[in-house]
Amino acid sequence: MRRALSRAIPPLALALPVAASAASAPADLPPYTQAYQPQGTDERGLWMLADEDERNLRDSKFVINDPALQAYVGGVLCRAVGEDRCRGVRIYLVRVASFNANMAPNGTMQLWSGLLLRVRSEAELAAVLGHEFAHFELRHSLAGFRQRRSATDIAAWASFLGQYGPAIQQTAIGSIFQFNREQEKQADLLSLKYAIQSPYSAQAASHIWQRLMGEADATALGRKQRSQRYDRVAFFATHPTNLDRATYLSTLSADVAVKPEAAESYSTALAKWLPEFLSDQLKLNDFGGTEYLLASLAGEHWTAPLLFARAELYRQRGNPRDLVAAADFYRSALGADPDMADAWRGLGLCLMRDRQQVEGTVALKNYIRLRPQAADISMLHAMIGE
Amino acid sequence: MRYAFGYAVLCLLLGCLSPTAMAQEKSAVRQGFALDPNSTKILLFRPKVTVGSQSTAGMFEPNADWTQQARDNLDVALAEAQQSLGNEIVGSVDVAGQQAESLAEYQSLFGIVAQSVIEFQFFPGNRLPTKKREGAAFDWTLGPGVSALASRSGARYGLFIFTEDQFGSTGRKIFQVFAAMGGVGIQSGQHKGFAGLVDLNGGDLLWLNADLQMGGDVRTIDGARRRVAQLLEDFPGSSISLAAAQ
Repeated sequence: MRRALSRAIPPLALALPVAASAASAPADLPPYTQAYQPQGTDERGLWMLADEDERNLRDSKFVINDPALQAYVGGVLCRAVGEDRCRGVRIYLVRVASFNANMAPNGTMQLWSGLLLRVRSEAELAAVLGHEFAHFELRHSLAGFRQRRSATDIAAWASFLGQYGPAIQQTAIGSIFQFNREQEKQADLLSLKYAIQSPYSAQAASHIWQRLMGEADATALGRKQRSQRYDRVAFFATHPTNLDRATYLSTLSADVAVKPEAAESYSTALAKWLPEFLSDQLKLNDFGGTEYLLASLAGEHWTAPLLFARAELYRQRGNPRDLVAAADFYRSALGADPDMADAWRGLGLCLMRDRQQVEGTVALKNYIRLRPQAADISMLHAMIGE
Repeated sequence: MRYAFGYAVLCLLLGCLSPTAMAQEKSAVRQGFALDPNSTKILLFRPKVTVGSQSTAGMFEPNADWTQQARDNLDVALAEAQQSLGNEIVGSVDVAGQQAESLAEYQSLFGIVAQSVIEFQFFPGNRLPTKKREGAAFDWTLGPGVSALASRSGARYGLFIFTEDQFGSTGRKIFQVFAAMGGVGIQSGQHKGFAGLVDLNGGDLLWLNADLQMGGDVRTIDGARRRVAQLLEDFPGSSISLAAAQ
């Protein structure tokens, strides 16, 4: 920890932070043990805030209440970091359609549904869980809090230093973000260490970052924005660039023995939620990124839920050519699963809009037959003239 | 100008540009409201209490011991104050499942509504058009769904309490002195709190009191009494005054 600190803080501002980290007496127990109690004012304070936050999170409507999925993810964590460690963590699956996970100092782990959608195998999930767990085991929140306090103190005092002030302030503020990047890298490396000892593939971690870069490029292209650069680190960046992470993770795992990724069991466990998470993703209004994501999820084989999501994506954009494409995707989805009511509805609406009244009516009637209680039934009846 | 970057970043980091810091009015009561003399059972929702210190640069440093002391002291002081008003206070029990979800939702909703009142009503220059009119009523509500929370406790009113105390650290105080020498005013310590009373039958916000510079050291029982007196200032039917509590 000390070494990381002195690397993170520029020499000018070295004196205070080292004093601060020396004050933190090493606790006897690692934080994941059942009997562990936070030590010292800072750690106890942070745990108190985290406990309060967890009280709110526990009852939040954004938390996915599915014991089976919960147990599955918990099991992957235990296989990833070991039975002795994983008991100290409570996992909350939170329904937010972005790729993220976070860890509070008291062992509260949040996994967002956007992450569950993008991860492709148990091995990849284990890499993410291991990364978050590493933050917990290494007490990163505490170290980050202390470093932030020292750096802002230095920045405050530097305002008395006249012309030298701004340079020192900028360095001190920059050190906060640099320190954070160091912690993220440490967590990546420890996660890799867990993976090497676990039954999962250690090479999986870098795949996540490869695909995320691809998706970010697709999103940027779809929105006619410049794609993100990965060749340099921004001043305010809290994490190493995705390219950095993909590179060092794949380099360091290159020689590790090949172990299973467990992609099949992951997709089985997620099957029930896949349509829901896809529907959340569609609402992000990100044509390029979603198209990339769907294609990468499908790989060689487009399943009915993926075809349906793709059809919805095209119908949402709604150019005449998109409606033709969407109708094809709906038909393919229905080929795989003829009882998919929502696909009949989408197909019907596409065809009606494309002036194919007769075929459209047939499709909508199929929807009405499959979902006689649906909320939009009377509107659809009006459309087909009944 | 040269310092602008550093200050801007500091302010961003420390959130010191919060608009609530400018609030002027401190409390309001719903028009024509008086406590129902027949049922003055008040349900106290778990108070949000946070106590800590403020680092030299103004960062909040949470302190678990102080927070626990403040929680205990405020509980005692609150019960005393309400007893002297003739009201009965019941604590919210730990519920599970659906009820816990709806309780959490209403607690969040109250927080949002209270913040809106502070920002868009108590600060006259910031008022929303409907609150600007001459004699505009104090008219805010959480909606009638809140009555579900009352059914179990049998309480007629719900009381929400929020306090946040940041005591200036030694470093902060020294920094304040130096800054004053340079002609810059720096605040050391921040003590804010608000309390609100909600009609559990209809969901209307009946009374709200918000103070962003509160007195009373909540870590001590006397300080907590003073804080509660200040929080409950203008409480409907209240005769508590600061002087009496001191």
